[in-house]
Amino acid sequence: VEKKLNDLIDKALSRRTFMTGAGTAAAAALLVGCNTSTTAPTPTPPAPPTPLDFPDNDILNFALNLEYLEAEFYLYAATGQGLSSADALSGAGTTKVPANIAAVPWASASYAQYANEIAQDELNHVRYIQKAISGNSGTPVARPTLDLTFFGPLAVAAGITTAPTFNPFADQDSFLVGAFVFEDVGVTAYTGAAPLITNKNILSAAAGIQAVEAYHAAEIRTLIAGAAASANATPAQTAALAAANMVSALRGKISMGSGNMLAAETTLSINSIVASDSTNAIAFARTTDQVLHIVFGGAAGAGVSSGGFFPAGLNGNIKSTTT
Amino acid sequence: MATLETQQLDDIIVKSRRKMLSLGTTALAGLVFAGAAKKAEAQAAITDNDILNFALNLEYLEANFYNLAVNGVTIDKLSTPIGITGTGTQGVVVTKPNFAAVPFSSTTIKAYATETSVEEGKHVSFLRGALGSLAVAQPQIDLVNSFNTLAMAAGIGPAFDPFASDANFLIGAYIFEDVGVTAYHGAAGSISSTTILGAAVGIHAVEAYHAGLVRTSINAYDAASSTPGALLKLTQQISAARSALANPSSSPTTQITNGGIMGADDQGIDNTVKVALEGSSATFPSTTIVDADNNSIGFARTPQQILAIVTGTSPTAASPHTGVFFPAGLNGNIN
Repeated sequence: VEKKLNDLIDKALSRRTFMTGAGTAAAAALLVGCNTSTTAPTPTPPAPPTPLDFPDNDILNFALNLEYLEAEFYLYAATGQGLSSADALSGAGTTKVPANIAAVPWASASYAQYANEIAQDELNHVRYIQKAISGNSGTPVARPTLDLTFFGPLAVAAGITTAPTFNPFADQDSFLVGAFVFEDVGVTAYTGAAPLITNKNILSAAAGIQAVEAYHAAEIRTLIAGAAASANATPAQTAALAAANMVSALRGKISMGSGNMLAAETTLSINSIVASDSTNAIAFARTTDQVLHIVFGGAAGAGVSSGGFFPAGLNGNIKSTTT
Repeated sequence: MATLETQQLDDIIVKSRRKMLSLGTTALAGLVFAGAAKKAEAQAAITDNDILNFALNLEYLEANFYNLAVNGVTIDKLSTPIGITGTGTQGVVVTKPNFAAVPFSSTTIKAYATETSVEEGKHVSFLRGALGSLAVAQPQIDLVNSFNTLAMAAGIGPAFDPFASDANFLIGAYIFEDVGVTAYHGAAGSISSTTILGAAVGIHAVEAYHAGLVRTSINAYDAASSTPGALLKLTQQISAARSALANPSSSPTTQITNGGIMGADDQGIDNTVKVALEGSSATFPSTTIVDADNNSIGFARTPQQILAIVTGTSPTAASPHTGVFFPAGLNGNIN
């Protein structure tokens, strides 16, 4: 049975061999075709080259880096403190935070509740993925060095401010913009990675995390757009919606710069909460390369391996851009 | 479509999982494998197209609900009609006499409803396009007796009209969205084609966006209402009813770290819960916008569990499942 099993796994793996970038492009092309096709889809071989088949644990560790970043952000916002050393794992890097960091001074108790729920979810994701990797005979990476002051330069790059002073921990509306920076990226990262995963149980876990990230993204988008659309909207709430869309435009630009995003990101408004492709209402998928370019702050080209939120790079095997 | 090899591989994996379970592996592996083994057993011979057609039945239901709410007409009667023909038995959408769109008083809620109606319509069109001539027809859909039956089962009352008001519409939407999320999640692992899987997880994410949107809206609407907590209680009752239908033999469990009671695989919106974060006890007030388990992983349901919820049957009932939203059953091989 074992021999047979190994043969079958080899066959299944070779069938699954996929490539970042080109694979998604081929999938996108096929999906567009499906839209008008009158016959059942017949998977066509993905266009050319560079087969790059990441083992599941590499994908999980890539996700773990992103979850460390999110958990750290939300925990600081909720409590003024980050991950415990036990959760950051041995050998963890430090996290740079704004001076005099403290929990966000919430104007509304319900926003504190929202932030606390998301912080717990992201912390749970860190813990779950660590266990999933260990359970899959791998070694979870420790928290890399993180920079939560990068929101300042990011806001300048997006055109939100002229000086790098933006601080997502300063107030409730700034927090929402900070959360907006991450959530849709998380959704697109999991949407892009899911088809690359070989093990069905890991795929199911990844899909489950993807759903939670989408709940979060919708929550943040609903709060930002809803407040700005209210008759009583404050200037800060109106500005938060504008800032969110500037972040969105920047992300779209970075993604397209590294290839094959289906379209620019959806503009957030009260009439458009969901971030999806307007032709078929299917969520955008990003390659690991596109996600890396975004979290590194947008430096173009292959070989980018640090910057932005990850000043010393990511831990694990997926850590350098290839396009 | 599954090849002989992948079918054999799946069989072997299922057997290995059972063996590992019986040997007692780690708690995590046990949890993950338990769900997967159950799923694989129940879905032995289904194809990707079967799964897409199953999803299409659910999208017909959602798209009609939202388009009726916003436009007052079914999807085949829109100014740009969406197709409903196909294989199987085509049916009508049953609505109350003199049906009219929801008399929205909040422009915000109407905007959400409009966006969702468009997106669910696109999902129908996308799936029909992907399936081509294999697409199933819209089955008969009941949007009157279904909600009354569900309201009774959930302990809400003898009748419920989701088209009566803003609040009722939000609750009607609540009934569907989390179910859609769990359905796509549960089906993902059974999809053979990487391309189709990519599309399915993309739709899965959009359903979760919708669910997050409606849950956040309900939470805000409830807090601003004259009876705070009333709508939240309805969501808890609905979640408990969904969970009971999908898991008839499981008693409700308590969600420990993420708050709320709710069910084996569902939780309503609850603003009285607390979370621990990095502390040693749960002291931070939270809410439960996200419908997820104690690991903050979204729930997955098998097609049989989804059938039980949308038809008011049991997951183990013989096919075809009929009742509630689908009085004549679903079209396609997963029914």
